[in-house]
Amino acid sequence: MSTGTITLTSSDEVDITLDRAVAERSVLIKNMLEDLGDSGEAIPIPNVNEAVLKKVIAWCEQHKNDPASANDDDDNRRKTTDIDEWDQKFMQVDQEMLFEIILAANYLDIKALLDVGCKTVANMIKGKSPEEIRKTFNIQNDFTPEEEDQIRRENEWAEDR
Amino acid sequence: MSPRENTSATSTRRRPSLSFRSRPRTAAPVPMSKDFGWDTWQEPSLVKMCQDGEAAVLEEMEPFPDAVPRRRGAKSFSSLRHPVDGIVALGRRLSVSLRNKSSKQNLTVMENVHDDLEDHERYEDRHYTHVTDRAGHKRHIATGSWDARVAPNNWPQGYSINRRPSLNSVSALHGFYAPTASIPVPIPGRGQEPPILPNNRFGGAAARAAAAAQNEQMEVARMAKVERESNKILEMRIPQDSESGIGIDLRDRSEVPDVGFQGIRRIDPIGFLPAEISAHIFSYLDPDSLMTCEAVSRSWLQACSSPVWKHVFRGTYGRRPASDTASKMKQSSGLGKSIPNQDWKKMYLTRRALDQRWKDGKAAAIYLQGHQDSVYCSQFDEKKIITGSRDRTIRVWDAHYPWACQKIIGPPSQRVYGRGPVNSPTSQASGTSPFLTITPPFVHPDNVDEGSEEEDSVYHSASILCLQFDEEIMVTGSSDHTCIVWDIKNDYRPIHRLSGHHAGVLDVCFDDRYIVSCSKDTTICVWDRKTGELLRQLVGHLGPVNAVQLRGDLIVSASGDGVAKMWNVISGQCVKEFVSKDRGLACVEFSDDGRTILTGGNDRIIYQFDANTGDLVNELRGHSGLVRSLHLDSDNKRIVSGSYDMSVKVFDRDSGNLSINFPGWTTSWMLSVQSDYRRIVATSQDARTVIMDFGYGLDGIDLLEE
Repeated sequence: MSTGTITLTSSDEVDITLDRAVAERSVLIKNMLEDLGDSGEAIPIPNVNEAVLKKVIAWCEQHKNDPASANDDDDNRRKTTDIDEWDQKFMQVDQEMLFEIILAANYLDIKALLDVGCKTVANMIKGKSPEEIRKTFNIQNDFTPEEEDQIRRENEWAEDR
Repeated sequence: MSPRENTSATSTRRRPSLSFRSRPRTAAPVPMSKDFGWDTWQEPSLVKMCQDGEAAVLEEMEPFPDAVPRRRGAKSFSSLRHPVDGIVALGRRLSVSLRNKSSKQNLTVMENVHDDLEDHERYEDRHYTHVTDRAGHKRHIATGSWDARVAPNNWPQGYSINRRPSLNSVSALHGFYAPTASIPVPIPGRGQEPPILPNNRFGGAAARAAAAAQNEQMEVARMAKVERESNKILEMRIPQDSESGIGIDLRDRSEVPDVGFQGIRRIDPIGFLPAEISAHIFSYLDPDSLMTCEAVSRSWLQACSSPVWKHVFRGTYGRRPASDTASKMKQSSGLGKSIPNQDWKKMYLTRRALDQRWKDGKAAAIYLQGHQDSVYCSQFDEKKIITGSRDRTIRVWDAHYPWACQKIIGPPSQRVYGRGPVNSPTSQASGTSPFLTITPPFVHPDNVDEGSEEEDSVYHSASILCLQFDEEIMVTGSSDHTCIVWDIKNDYRPIHRLSGHHAGVLDVCFDDRYIVSCSKDTTICVWDRKTGELLRQLVGHLGPVNAVQLRGDLIVSASGDGVAKMWNVISGQCVKEFVSKDRGLACVEFSDDGRTILTGGNDRIIYQFDANTGDLVNELRGHSGLVRSLHLDSDNKRIVSGSYDMSVKVFDRDSGNLSINFPGWTTSWMLSVQSDYRRIVATSQDARTVIMDFGYGLDGIDLLEE
């Protein structure tokens, strides 16, 4: 495990210093540090602004001691939508922040955070009707009545009805 | 207040709401302490309020409110659906709100307070201060609700009284609030928020709580905005409002713009996030939710792509193990092939329809005719069905239309066609009949595939009693006391004969190391799969050993003496015994995970044992004759049994309940049964094999083949 601190620069040019071990939750940063060595210079994170980056770092801080994911198999990762309690609270943010965290986790290659974010969105979708989903995310229904009808018919029982 | 259904005792204290409009001052906080129980504090408060000449609205005090019908105006905060899981997350939020109905004529004053529970009394004070301030303006329809989000077992101690002073009658209709109950309660819609309905279909209460908290969080943000806007309106409005008498909005509700609309940025995740992340999100959904997503918008429909359906299909039905362990030839699970352009959604729809047919017991019967005598044994895979008979032949059948007999393995003199009997409709009267019966014409395979003219001696000289095959070999056991190992890849040529038993070989099984056979001579023989060498003989049963199964290092055998034994295949020692209640055992199943043992026999009962403890876990009843054959399909949680009562039955593995009963699909004893995701293949003493095909004619059923 690497020691010491490194500095990240957010897209809005704010420097944030953190433990290298925390930063290495990001596979992107980890690989970068391994490939280039720690020059002591700030690492620019051009896709992530300060507010989001701080959130992401807070998550990495909390999860810095997590064992490395033993099984990166896609199907296993997607088995459950359970989210641990700390992460649930962490994800109590507005939609914009939630989606920005997901984007940042994707960009920084933090799989576990990406999973938690996606699960949170999936849980916002589950159990809702199409109209309720539209309201939740402010989506226009751009189907024609005929198209809606067709989708409904397709998803009905394939037989016996 | 709406006449909500109320089952609790406190309902008797509810007052008809309209006659109990509270005026602001009545809302003075009722002194309470944590020590006061529900009844003790409620009564004095009611008295006090009445003495003051004020009316109280007590509806909210229901300890266990039922479903609240959704109202447009009901903007109360949702209660916590999963109080225990989410208490820590939500305990911090105490919200006090005074809100209006519409932006124009009704005014909203609200506060959203995030703080710890201990502070709630302070907020209560502030809350009422507001009410008092606004009291003079009767046009202001101000409703306040506050909700101490605490676990249900806390709230009767005083934390979660939900009172709401109402300034006029209209507001009272909209501002009611339901406290949290310990059961999931539908949460009414809040402004733009859809209602949250209790949903126990999917696991993950904690996750749902997180989603609820998410929604809640957004609501809080929205409210803060609403508050700012409302305050502005309030400032503008007050001088005029003080002149008017009442404040009823006469417009239709649908015309009233919702102030909350712009209060929070609602973002379409599918438009906002890249496609691979959208797919990632969707892959966490269940099939029903995914189908709902398809109906949201065009971009959502597009995002529900085949790769997403693949994940969801596999999440629902599992996936094929990456490498098939050779220990036991596993039945097809109907999980389809991983090929490009596979239509995974169609597969799901087909699978759903197929599962419904299993529930309904709806299957076609396809009769394979050709054997001249009892068909004792069979095994099938996706392509072929192999049967063994008293007529000394082994026959290989096409598992697909037209179910032709592809090969007859046996002495040339026996390679003839025998016509089976015809079903008698009366024997099926007590159960489910096939929805369709097919008896394909017999095409003699020798016409196509000229049989070899070897000596009769390479074949079994008596009944074929048992068989098992995998990708490479087939092993058959016969009344001629021997087993023959056949090379499946080389046109079923015999490889070698296993001789050692002194009576008929009643059952056989094998894995990648051993072939295990059991015999009427009461012994079990363990052979080397590769060399055919007899490694050891297991002695201990007191009667003929009718059935044997091998899982890892363990053998389980069932004997006519009424005892099933577990053996260690390496040491040859008997490790455990599982005893039937009365008479002899005919068949045994050892679950793939090695935890469960099923036995069937003359007791007409299927015994289910815990393989580790040896305890009898369950008894499955329903057969009225000897249970001759058992098959456990762990993937689909089905136990299939065939009996001398001429029926095939299916039991639910977990509950042990009888789910399907097919009596009289053949005219005699059922001798072997086996099932996979779509069919049961049963063989009968009446010389026929019947495919009970639940997938027959189902659109897309071919997609499920592995």
